[in-house]
Amino acid sequence: MSEPDHGAPRGMPAELERALAAEVSLRSRMRYVAVGLAGGCAAGLIAVLWATEPRALPVRTQAVFAGLIAVGLAWAAVAAWALTRRRPLYAQDQVVGARLALVVSAVTGIVGTVLAAARGTTTAVLTTAAVGTVLTAIAGLLLARARSRRRELLRLRDVLRGGGA
Amino acid sequence: MSEDSRSGLLVVRCQLGEREAFGELAGLWHDALWRYVRAMVGSPHVADDLAQDVWVAVARGLPRLREPDRFAPWLFTIARRAVADHRREAYRAPQTSAGDEADVADNGSLNGLLTTMEIEAGLGELPPLEREVLILFHLQDLSLASCAEVLGVPPGTVKSRLHRARRTLREILTERGHER
Repeated sequence: MSEPDHGAPRGMPAELERALAAEVSLRSRMRYVAVGLAGGCAAGLIAVLWATEPRALPVRTQAVFAGLIAVGLAWAAVAAWALTRRRPLYAQDQVVGARLALVVSAVTGIVGTVLAAARGTTTAVLTTAAVGTVLTAIAGLLLARARSRRRELLRLRDVLRGGGA
Repeated sequence: MSEDSRSGLLVVRCQLGEREAFGELAGLWHDALWRYVRAMVGSPHVADDLAQDVWVAVARGLPRLREPDRFAPWLFTIARRAVADHRREAYRAPQTSAGDEADVADNGSLNGLLTTMEIEAGLGELPPLEREVLILFHLQDLSLASCAEVLGVPPGTVKSRLHRARRTLREILTERGHER
C-alpha cells in the first residue's frame, strides 16, 4: 500500500519538537556542570585529607581514599565528556557554568587550605593554597571568556535585528 | 526580513542559549531538510528518523558554528553525512531498504507543467551523486559555492554534475511522457 504525497512538506512533528526541547535542556547541562564540579572538588578535598594525615594510614584505608578519589575524578571526566560531546554549553549556559565553577573552586580552595592548616605542615598549606588559587584563576578565566563570547553574540544579534528591521 | 537574515538571527539566538529559538530555527528549515533527506533515501519514515538525528546533531554542533550566515550549507553537510551513514547501514542489511527506492518511483506522473513533486519523483531514478546535487541546487536553492561546500568538491565539479543530472532527469521525465 503506497502512502499519499510522499514528497510533501509535513511541518515539524510534535515528536521532533519534544526531542529537540530535551536535547537543548538547560537543566540537564547544569546537572552535568554540578556533577563534574562536585566530583572534582570532592576528589581534591579527599586528597588533602589523605596528604595531611599525621600518621601512615592502614593499607585498607588508603585503598578507600584512592577509590573515592578515583570515583570523584571519574564523575568529573564523565561530566567533561558529556559537556563537550553530548550537551555542549551555549553562551549563556557557559556564563552560568563558569560562575558556578568560580564559586565552587574558591570555596574548595579555602576549605582545603583550612584543612591543611589544621592538620598538616606549612608545605601542605602552601601547596593546597597554590592549587586552590590556580583552579580559581582558571575558573575566572573561563568566566571572562564566556562573558566575552556572550557579549559578542549579543552584539551580533542586535546588528542582525537592526539590519532586518 | 529575508529568510537568510532570519535564519542567521535564529542561529545567533540559539548560540546564545535562547531555547525558544531552536524550535523556530527547526520550524524554518525542517521542510527543506526533510525534502532533501526524503529524496535521498526514498522512504518518508526513514526521512523522519534521519531528520530528527540531524536536528540533534545541529543542537550539539551549533556552539561550534563560527559563521551563522553559513547555516544552510552546514545543515545540509550534516544531513548528507546522516544519509551516507544510513546508506552504509542499509548496505549491511539490504533487505530493509529494498522497497525504499520504489516509493520514489511510484509517484505518479501528471499532465501539464513539471511541478516540484514530479521532479522529485524523477529524482529516484538518478544516481546518488546527480540526485543530491540537483536537490541541493534546484530544490533547496543553495548557491554553487554552498553546494560545493556541502558536497566537498570544487564548484566546477558541481557544475558538471548538475549538467549531467539535468540531462539524465530530462531523459527520465521524457520517457514518462512529460515532453511538451
